[in-house]
Amino acid sequence: MMNRTGTDIQIAICGSAGDGTIASGDILKRAAALMGFNVIAFDVYPPEIRGFGKCISRVRISSQQSYSLKQNSDVLISLNDTHAIPHVGEVRDFGAVIYDDNLIANVPEGGHISGHIHPAQIPYGFSIRQISEQATNSARSRNIVILGYLAELFDLPREHFRKIIRDKFATKPRAVTDDNIKAFNAGLLAGSGVFKLDDVVVQKVDAKGNGADAEMMTGNGAVARGFMEAGIQCYFGYPITPATSIMERLAVEMPPAGGKFLQTEDEISAIAAAIGAGYAGTRAATATSGPGLALMAEMLGLGVMAEVPVVVVVSQRGGPSTGLPTKTEQSDLNLAVFGGSGDAQRIVLAPTNVEGCYRCAGRAFEIAETYQTPVIVLIDLYLSNRYETVIPSAHKQFAAKPRVPLAPNGDGAFKRFELTENNISPRAIPGEEGLMHTVTGLEHNELGRPNDAIHMDMNTKRHEKLKPAVNFPGLTVSKRFGDEGKVKVGILGWGSTFGEILETMYEAQAEGISCAAMKVVMLSPLPVESIAAFFADCDEILVPEVNYEGQFANIVCGALGKPVSRLNQTNGAPMAVADILAEVRRLSGKKPKTGQSDTFTEAAL
Amino acid sequence: MASPIHHVIIGSGSAGFGAAKTLRAADQNCRVTMITMDSLPFYQRYALPQIFRGRQDWRELLEVPPAKYDELDIKLRRRTRVVEVDGSNQIISLAHQETVAYDRLLVCTGGRSYLPENLTSQVDLIHSFGSYEAAMQVFKDLPKGGSVIMIGGDMIGIDLALTLLDSGYKVTLIANQQTFWPHDLTAKQQKPLLKALEAKGMIVFSDSRPIGVSDKCTNSATRCVTLEDTTEVLGDVVLSFCGLSPAVEFMLGADVDIERGILVNPELRTSNETIWAAGDVCQIWHDTEKTYKFYHGWKNVRMMGELAARNMLGGHDIFDVNVEDQIGVEPDGQLKSTFWTH
Ligand SMILES: Cc1cc2nc3c(=O)[nH]c(=O)nc-3n(C[C@H](O)[C@H](O)[C@H](O)COP(=O)(O)OP(=O)(O)OC[C@H]3O[C@@H](n4cnc5c(N)ncnc54)[C@H](O)[C@@H]3O)c2cc1C
Repeated sequence: MMNRTGTDIQIAICGSAGDGTIASGDILKRAAALMGFNVIAFDVYPPEIRGFGKCISRVRISSQQSYSLKQNSDVLISLNDTHAIPHVGEVRDFGAVIYDDNLIANVPEGGHISGHIHPAQIPYGFSIRQISEQATNSARSRNIVILGYLAELFDLPREHFRKIIRDKFATKPRAVTDDNIKAFNAGLLAGSGVFKLDDVVVQKVDAKGNGADAEMMTGNGAVARGFMEAGIQCYFGYPITPATSIMERLAVEMPPAGGKFLQTEDEISAIAAAIGAGYAGTRAATATSGPGLALMAEMLGLGVMAEVPVVVVVSQRGGPSTGLPTKTEQSDLNLAVFGGSGDAQRIVLAPTNVEGCYRCAGRAFEIAETYQTPVIVLIDLYLSNRYETVIPSAHKQFAAKPRVPLAPNGDGAFKRFELTENNISPRAIPGEEGLMHTVTGLEHNELGRPNDAIHMDMNTKRHEKLKPAVNFPGLTVSKRFGDEGKVKVGILGWGSTFGEILETMYEAQAEGISCAAMKVVMLSPLPVESIAAFFADCDEILVPEVNYEGQFANIVCGALGKPVSRLNQTNGAPMAVADILAEVRRLSGKKPKTGQSDTFTEAAL
Repeated sequence: MASPIHHVIIGSGSAGFGAAKTLRAADQNCRVTMITMDSLPFYQRYALPQIFRGRQDWRELLEVPPAKYDELDIKLRRRTRVVEVDGSNQIISLAHQETVAYDRLLVCTGGRSYLPENLTSQVDLIHSFGSYEAAMQVFKDLPKGGSVIMIGGDMIGIDLALTLLDSGYKVTLIANQQTFWPHDLTAKQQKPLLKALEAKGMIVFSDSRPIGVSDKCTNSATRCVTLEDTTEVLGDVVLSFCGLSPAVEFMLGADVDIERGILVNPELRTSNETIWAAGDVCQIWHDTEKTYKFYHGWKNVRMMGELAARNMLGGHDIFDVNVEDQIGVEPDGQLKSTFWTH
């Protein structure tokens, strides 16, 4: 069982768009990472651009590895009471609620957050706006004042905050940094002498703290980082939430590294260009979301048929159609695994955390090149926007290996699609002398010439060649956690939900339920053997997914022919640990436990 | 359906808490809101000296667990200061610019520790003991076995002083007219009582007034109090216990009669039909003595809160407690006071 000692706190900052909520959360998480803590953070933005809507930044800071956000926050900071009031219930008993108790405008009864704080929560009111104005002549630094107050109240190292503040505003005029440092110091002063009544404790990080090596990354940032480390050469993309920040990052980083970056007119041209570049022998990729993948489906079929390596990142959001563009969901699994015409199996990888995004994206090119096929890296909004501390590898583990040139074979006689023992054919790059060959979306023979008669053999080759991918070196394709041997309940999961699944498993174990969990990273081809072994050990199998149809459960049931219990939710929020735990308890025959109510899922909407 | 009656109680001490519970017990439908400057739910202030006996966790001092407020549907608004009561329009203004409307209001704001006027400029050097946070600050700033200089020494202070002596600390008492408050004693009446305190190990100065507090001390002490006769009393912490002055300033526009405290009739109703007052903040009309009197001590105060609540719901109960103002020394040397009820 996991030993949950040391620091493990979650701070939620809630404000309106324009209040600097996300910036403040950003400084907090980076400062915490610099202190050596493990950090997981997730921001919720309004769909509108600015001026309206609720923003929440949740930052979990822990001295041990954690896997998802916590159900209840330990601290809530309000920069806007109207938005923060529905989240007061998220704060645990004896946790803290920090707010401005010196408003400039009258509010009606119930309009101030102090009227909503539960008797077991600790109120900390202070003049946030006034202090900001006194320190910087502007109320805009309220988001930094609260960080000073927080640092003082929980005795967090001040210099780490100051460093991150300086870094954050380094590109702005000097006065901006100075004002924010002043605001931070003013917040510190406001917090000094405040008697701490809550029981939220931040311990000093021990020597194992990885502050210096760890980097804060979002899932999208980690994908871009993985791509860069793999030496991506061509990127073609069309912006779409929540994938856009991948291309924004690559647009900045690729050209100086010699890469080619192009924003195309739509998703169809993006994938077409990427397949073209892959065919030409470069490491090429695109990134999109569900609606974009739907448009790309036909071209992906060409990639499968023509056996072209290409990497496609898909960050899912609520669907179908335009759906819920700023909310998370795991409902494009069917499209990623099966989408398109014909039997077009491709490789689909679904990382479960930010580090996984980095590793899957980095490794995807090598896998695509090895099996000569498109590889989809399937993530979602929760993972795309979630921050975690990642320690990137020191050596270039994703770099392309030098190509072994093929012997010229006489133009027209080169068997680009040769039926070999391992079903992988020799691959020539266009322009290589003596290796000219035909490539087409039509079914073709070994030479690449159109041919219907060989369809069965070629289908077999295209499917069979992928099977060994489940043993691809340097990639965790599936992994079991928790109790070994026979267990009462096994939780099977994929993608971003696996963090909540692991947290659930540890909670269930703490309650005495024998429990294990398995993450499946390679969704196509499916690592059937390891899943079957897991099934054999578990009395009950639970598959929680943030989709309505139980898409993964359907795939697994189809592959193994065994029933599973499903837990499906589509409310735009990540799945709550409490909900998974309730199912685990039910399956284990344990009575439901009453406790602090779970308002996170509802409030997170 | 008519909206339920909104009872608002200002103050969450003994009086306010007793009233809230009584209101809820008698009327399941009314709204009860308790507004307080305290950060914590109700705890007995008389238990604060227990901090020196190892009870530092505030949760141990609570009279009821926090969840009880939800169970009783009592809305507790903490860290919230009332700055004004508009008695004609029945509206309360809070310091953070929120307004709260009430149907019936009960004021239970107690009293604040009174500081002799000549020492007000040195208030930063004098610790207070009126809340959990303040008491904990004293606990933190007082080294183990350290010494406390107590100015005045009302009954609240004496209780603390005896606990401190018992716990291995030193106490120097600079007595004045407020020593043994709320008992109103002459210097002569105080003498045997002070002697009893000396017998318990307290150092007592009774002939000279303090004129200044300083943190620039001759030896390792962090505080020194200078007396009129130039004596310098050294210690680690200075506390002033000179009785309480009722917290009424926010009631000035409330359309109620105020003398030192809020004046109420024996039913604890003020001169405003919709406002009642209870606890240390109010002076109750005494029909025989034909005067308004304060009644201190948590038991009296609790009784007042409960009585006011019953009357807010239409009752006509009378506060006719006859508190004897008695203090003396028992044969075993212990002080015995009618105020001192734990
Ligand atoms: C340290 C200490 C020891 C004591 N020991 C004893 C003892 O041994 N025996 C005994 O019988 N009595 C003792 N007492 C006295 C007794 O506790 C008091 O008589 C009693 O606490 C008074 O209760 P109350 O409800 O009237 O006011 P308080 O308990 O003083 O409560 C006043 C309340 O009003 C609130 N308030 C004040 N102004 C405002 C405002 N403007 N807006 C919002 N809220 C406001 C405060 O936050 C507080 O909640 C002691 C008191 C103290 C402080």
